[in-house]
Amino acid sequence: MTDSGGVQGLGADSMRSRHLARNALPTIFAGIVGVFSVALLAAASGSVPAGGVARGTLTIGITQFPATLNPDIDAMAAKSYVLGMAARPFTVYDAGWRLVCLLCRRLPSMANGLAVPVAVKNGKKGVALTYTIRPDAKWGDGVPVTTDDVMFTYDVGRNPQSAVTGAEFYRRVTRIDVKDKHTFTLHDDKLTFDYAAIDDFVPLPAHIERAAFADPAQYRIRSRYNTDSTDPGLYDGPYRISEVATGSYIVLTPNPYWSGPAPHFRRITVRAIENTAALEANLLSGSIDMVAGELGPPLDEALAFEAAHGDQFRFVYKPGLIFEHVDLNLARPALADRRVRQALLYGVDREAISKSLFAGRQPVADSFVSPLDAGYAGDIPHYRYDPAKAAQLLDAAGWHTAGGGLRRDAAGRVLSLELKTTAGDRTRELVEQVLQSQWRQIGVDVRIKNEPARVLFGESLPHRNFDMAMYAWISAPENVPRSIFDSQEVPDAANGYSGQNDTGFRNATMDRLIDATETELDPVKRKGLWAQMQRLYATELPSLPLYFRSNVFILPKWLKGVAPTGNQYPTTLWITDWTAQ
Amino acid sequence: MIRFVAIRLVEIAVVLALLSFAIYVLIGLMPGDPIDLMRNADPHMTAADVAHLKAVYGLDRPLVARYLAWITGALAGNLGYSRLFAEPVWTVLLPRLGNSLVLMGSSFILALLLGLVLGTLAARRPHSRLDAAINLVCFAGVSVPTFWLALVLILVFAADLGWLPASGAATAGVAEIGDRLRHLVLPVATLTLASVGGYTRYVRAAMREALAEDHIRTARAKGAGPARVIVHHALRSAMVPVTTILALSFGSLVSGALVTETMFAYPGMGKLIFDAVMGNDYNLALAGLLLAAVVTMLANLAADLAYGWLDPRVTYR
Amino acid sequence: MRLPAPLLLLAALALACIVGPWVGAALGSDGATVDLLHRLAGPSAVHPLGTDELGRDELLRLLGAGRVSLAIGVAAALTAAALGTTVGLAAGYLGGWTDRLSMRLTDAVIALPLLPLLIVLAALDLRKLGVPQWLARSDDISFLRIVLLAVLVSWTTPARLVRGAALAARNRDFVRAARSLGARVPHILRVHILPNALAPLTVATALSVGDVILLESVLSFLGLGIQPPLASWGTMLTNAQDLIETAPRLALYPGLMIFLTVIACNLLGDTLQHRLDRAAASRSASRGRAAKRLSAAR
Repeated sequence: MTDSGGVQGLGADSMRSRHLARNALPTIFAGIVGVFSVALLAAASGSVPAGGVARGTLTIGITQFPATLNPDIDAMAAKSYVLGMAARPFTVYDAGWRLVCLLCRRLPSMANGLAVPVAVKNGKKGVALTYTIRPDAKWGDGVPVTTDDVMFTYDVGRNPQSAVTGAEFYRRVTRIDVKDKHTFTLHDDKLTFDYAAIDDFVPLPAHIERAAFADPAQYRIRSRYNTDSTDPGLYDGPYRISEVATGSYIVLTPNPYWSGPAPHFRRITVRAIENTAALEANLLSGSIDMVAGELGPPLDEALAFEAAHGDQFRFVYKPGLIFEHVDLNLARPALADRRVRQALLYGVDREAISKSLFAGRQPVADSFVSPLDAGYAGDIPHYRYDPAKAAQLLDAAGWHTAGGGLRRDAAGRVLSLELKTTAGDRTRELVEQVLQSQWRQIGVDVRIKNEPARVLFGESLPHRNFDMAMYAWISAPENVPRSIFDSQEVPDAANGYSGQNDTGFRNATMDRLIDATETELDPVKRKGLWAQMQRLYATELPSLPLYFRSNVFILPKWLKGVAPTGNQYPTTLWITDWTAQ
Repeated sequence: MIRFVAIRLVEIAVVLALLSFAIYVLIGLMPGDPIDLMRNADPHMTAADVAHLKAVYGLDRPLVARYLAWITGALAGNLGYSRLFAEPVWTVLLPRLGNSLVLMGSSFILALLLGLVLGTLAARRPHSRLDAAINLVCFAGVSVPTFWLALVLILVFAADLGWLPASGAATAGVAEIGDRLRHLVLPVATLTLASVGGYTRYVRAAMREALAEDHIRTARAKGAGPARVIVHHALRSAMVPVTTILALSFGSLVSGALVTETMFAYPGMGKLIFDAVMGNDYNLALAGLLLAAVVTMLANLAADLAYGWLDPRVTYR
Repeated sequence: MRLPAPLLLLAALALACIVGPWVGAALGSDGATVDLLHRLAGPSAVHPLGTDELGRDELLRLLGAGRVSLAIGVAAALTAAALGTTVGLAAGYLGGWTDRLSMRLTDAVIALPLLPLLIVLAALDLRKLGVPQWLARSDDISFLRIVLLAVLVSWTTPARLVRGAALAARNRDFVRAARSLGARVPHILRVHILPNALAPLTVATALSVGDVILLESVLSFLGLGIQPPLASWGTMLTNAQDLIETAPRLALYPGLMIFLTVIACNLLGDTLQHRLDRAAASRSASRGRAAKRLSAAR
């Protein structure tokens, strides 16, 4: 047999090798295929997932899984969403943006005598608020919700080692007097117009959690909400959590001791799917029935999905209290001039952005107050797209173009600004690039420098290391903007970079208005103050208002009763209104 | 050989220790902290609250002090609590580890078997049309980004055809094996398609060299049939690079596949380690990363020992 | 010598990307002008591949992104090859502690699950590491970051290959002859050892170009890749997955580009490997090859 490296040796064998190819190797192949088929058959024999077909169940898709289920530790939208069905806070704002009682019987007010102003030290005014827990409120193990739970929660919240968020509330409440098993009086050291809203206060079941709180420093680890989330006694809402697969899904079943209106669904599953394209695919395949607007895909993605599958689902768009804007660092010499700031706003066509990128579902904002808010004022300066006016303002401010190019000042320096936003946010990146292009046309050179969210919020903003920053303020109904506009709240080395007034807006009138609005109890007068604040904002423009971001709810056609609120309180708080047709 | 193993074990321990410090420092070098994000998301939260929470979680202590605290605990067997899940690290790790072993194990075995078959087929008839076809199919799988492959599979098989579930490891509340298998099909298919190309190429190259060896010619000259030639003689030599693949892939059994797990919302180690790192959860991130590292290094050691058994010409220094 | 087809394909792709700006001038547009009125338009005379979600010309964006992606791939592959060769030569030729340390270092890098490490490295605050302000804030910093990450990940393969070749070659007669004639180490490495290693090194480098491009697309998927205003095929593909329902062609083009490039790299590596095998088979005895395989396997 000839040989030169064995390659031809094989060739000479080709007759027999073809035989082999026909006998042994196919056998191996067949073996693999066989194993795979058996596996597939076994898989196919598994039960078909019961989706909304059974109508007694509902599967909700969200984009994040809650890290912990303890209502008072860690502020997370996913946790609020799930606990909206299982844990009752005392007060919330409903879809009409009115303050309502959930766990309490009546909202304290001056009129019904349950709210009594008291004098506190420094001659300031505080208030004593009396609440009564609903007598039929019970934890999932039958134990009634009482003032024991209230006092226990207060102890947990006040303890510096317990890692409770919402510390603001526990600072303001100086003491709680217990009248009986269901009635208690809070002593708040500051009288503000929204005195009755204690939404950060969610009671914890004392009879279960007291043992875990024995060592306060270990509470967040030993809390029953983490060690055994399915304990029914932890939940006093219409549902209780009955199964948790950490990182994957949570199953909720009706709470047998719930005394309010009976919930419709006998089983609700909340699935976490982070990738929004996969989330939508799951919706199409029936693995999930609906997508929660509070934790759903970005608006432009949802619009694309609706364009393709609009007939299969019901789409509800609701602008939220998420104010998307561009902060302008007033410490930068170019931005210190009000004319430049106004020119920047005149130079962007926000209507076009809203219409083309968001199909008009995210109306342009003129100030930081949402049109749905009680304090909203319509008669404030509105900046239409006007590049000519922008050019005029920039010229007046001393920035001149040299024949169609970039603007320079008298010293020849180019008007060049850096725009930052959260990296990886596709929608923001798109808007950024549109803004950059439009500003280029009025001669302003804008360079994009995105950073991960934790860098932007953890360092760049507090250290005021930016020119322009695009992000969102999340607020509450009638939320007085002290932390973002008050002169005392500018973060710097002296105050340890606390405060959220990253623009550095220092305006005596605004400070005065903030103080006055907080303590003004007369709603009519307060509305007037709000209007003044908005007018001042729109004239001075410490930031450029863009729009209020919309949440998109993608619902199956047979689901009724879901009422998007437009504020940060999740729709699940009214889960008993949801029914299937 | 005992000496060889002992020295390697010592080296592994040293590498682990250095690796743990390096990872601790790297995570510490990431700017900001997830707590800073809370400040922006909660309208009532102040920066003082943020500072206070950081102190509660012990984040204001210097990095070296925190590392020393961790390593003394770890050596005593206590891996600490996961900050993200507020549970002991092992409680969080074990179920995810199980899921990953199932997912990665199945796709690895499948890809390896397919690779062996396809690689052998290609090696026996080099430059034939079969060889070229196998080449092309394999390379196609390797040349597409995994997240893309996953999305296409989900859209076709789950959304359009509805044959298979689009995400998760199991249907909520159902604990049968059939259901779990259904959920495994698409993720396993994605991973297999992505890796079979590499394995095939390895096997093909090794088989071609092996089939050209002197002892193969001898075997044929002695009258051995093609099947015996391949299985009994060539495969043994070809096992050397296959063992290399095995060793390198062992680590991934533990470290999971981040992209696939994200697309399929499959709760495995890859996503867990990613979330732990991004969430500054030192305890969880270190536990996961070091587990993967130690498994890989032990697998390398086993592979080196296996070389000796497979190929008597190899000796140890 | 006939040029392999994959190499021609790669060269064509690179050329197309490089001449992108001139194509743009010819068409009268560029890949950066935003035109909100003509978003997601189909192919037309002035936009041969249509427009993207901001109305920018898709063809020009594709070519521009190709420049970035190919540049990352080639730069990272060449740098990794250079770094790996240095380490491999030192380890293979000098032996002893240099070898042990290098191999344990290589083991450690291989043992690390790469993705988490890359995430940490990508999110690092460069200023904390002492990188000067002007560099940390420059436009191209994300490009440099990714090249650096890719090098960190891919230097181990060339290192192992070159070490194997160096180990095999150092005891050969011609090397011992050179040593006894008084040749210095750098000379020996350059003239005698390196040419032996060049062959497998070239193959590995060709393959790693494709791997780096895929790595870049995964990093973009995770949000750690190229940042705007730069665009790469990876970022285009990631952004397109959200629009797969309305404009699937936006995903098709960058996906196809990545696919063609990576498969061309793989095929190129394969072809080179095949040619080397043929050259080696006709050159050395089978015993020599066996010895090389043994040391490479360690």
